Amino acid sequence: MTEPRGRLGAALIAALFSVPLLALVTRAFADSWRAPALVPQELGLRGVRIAFSGDTGTAFLNSLQVATLTVAIALILAWPAARVLGERRLRHPATVFILLAAPLLVPSYAVGSGLTEWFIRLGLDGSTTALVAAHLTFVLPYVTIVLLSGFGPGLTTLEEMARVSGLSPLRGLALVSLPASAPTVAAAALLGFLVSWSDYGSSLAVGGGRPMLPVVLLPFVGADPQVAATLALLFLAPALLFLVLTVRAGRRPL
Amino acid sequence: MSGALLRHPRVRNYARLAPAILTITLLFGGALAGAVRTSVLPLGQDATLATWSSLLHAPELVDAALFTLRTALISTLLAAAVAVAIALAVWRRGTWVRALLALAVPIPHLLVATVAVLWLAPGGLAERVLGALPITLVRDRAGLGVVLVYVYKEAPFLALLLLAAMGQGYREREEACAALGASASQRLRWVTWPTIRGPLVVGSIIVFAYVLGAFEVPLALGPSYPPTLAEYAFNATRGDLISGQSTAAATLLLTSVAAMLLAVLAVRLAKDPQGD
Repeated sequence: MTEPRGRLGAALIAALFSVPLLALVTRAFADSWRAPALVPQELGLRGVRIAFSGDTGTAFLNSLQVATLTVAIALILAWPAARVLGERRLRHPATVFILLAAPLLVPSYAVGSGLTEWFIRLGLDGSTTALVAAHLTFVLPYVTIVLLSGFGPGLTTLEEMARVSGLSPLRGLALVSLPASAPTVAAAALLGFLVSWSDYGSSLAVGGGRPMLPVVLLPFVGADPQVAATLALLFLAPALLFLVLTVRAGRRPL
Repeated sequence: MSGALLRHPRVRNYARLAPAILTITLLFGGALAGAVRTSVLPLGQDATLATWSSLLHAPELVDAALFTLRTALISTLLAAAVAVAIALAVWRRGTWVRALLALAVPIPHLLVATVAVLWLAPGGLAERVLGALPITLVRDRAGLGVVLVYVYKEAPFLALLLLAAMGQGYREREEACAALGASASQRLRWVTWPTIRGPLVVGSIIVFAYVLGAFEVPLALGPSYPPTLAEYAFNATRGDLISGQSTAAATLLLTSVAAMLLAVLAVRLAKDPQGD
């Protein structure tokens, strides 16, 4: 009896979070949508034309490249550290935990402008290296925290069993550790990707005028809602793709 | 000999922590050092503490700090409460509900703010549907619109963190507990709460710190006064070319210190951020 009601509730919640976003799609393709009309007066591709007349393509690729590189590096650096923290191998983990999490508490704008001071001196201002380094400052903590929440005695026991069964460390990693922690790794990668992908503050500070998608998009938000909505949909595309992959990875059983 | 040393558990632990810790120390330490340097070395001038002393005497800073703290606290508490309700409502649902729910997560804050303006501003879609809104939500002095955007944006994020924790073995424990005759509230206390407490606390600290430091949302639909701390910093860089960067750096450093202190406090209060 509670099933249909639960289904209705779930559908309502889903609608509450998805319907307002549909307005974004409508807005993107509404050449004219004046109050008090509930439907646009005129549909068209004006938003697409203006959005793609500038740096949008380059900005899209820049953002994609920086986010992918940042997440890959973050996962490699975070995995061993998250294992130590998640399995509670330290007698005093608080210091390490606070040190690793500290960058999350600082505005990305602050991290960006602080690092720019040095990047200009090193001639790295506006380079991919500078952007990845700036994003890594807060993506690495996010990835570490999400990863460590999924590690614990359960995984250790499984690995112990793999070792006793004669699996080499590498095969143990490929056949046991990674599949067993796939949901956590996927969640960590998703969060890291999104944080880098949508970061405005540090991209603006470190980018040195290099087009990054959020930086290209911001001026349109106040000035031209239709172009902003169009860019927003473009902004959403890789994130949604990444999300679908994550949900699939999260559901894969060991 | 080095092999034997590496096999020592404590050395091994620190060796595995080293890559992450060294990276963070270098980048984060570098960023803070850079910000401190900017705050005491205004463009083309000698080292001075003038920026700090004028900042700490600005009445606007106190207003900004109080407004920022209040917004961040209310947003975080509401988002956490909504997230728990969502997680409890949909944890039995299939992938599609989670995917729909997760639609709000990948959208940058600035775009949620854009959507909010599209719906809630005077003449927006909500007014067109309902006729009139009982309260002002965009550019209102209390910052209700800002809080609303953050709750909308962060509640699904927190809910997904909770749902991730409720995946592995949670259903079995829940059902076992129910089969043994535990009531709904007992299951909530003994099974659900221990499962979600860790991610909830960690997630809430992340959300709180984010709200404290972000400036896109308040710029888009917050009140013109008081500004949030990050907005105050952002405005400074646009106001004065010479001292603006210094004022911004000093303000952002203050925000950072406040956020770190509050997070330490939260971790203390929650005892163990991973819970069990």
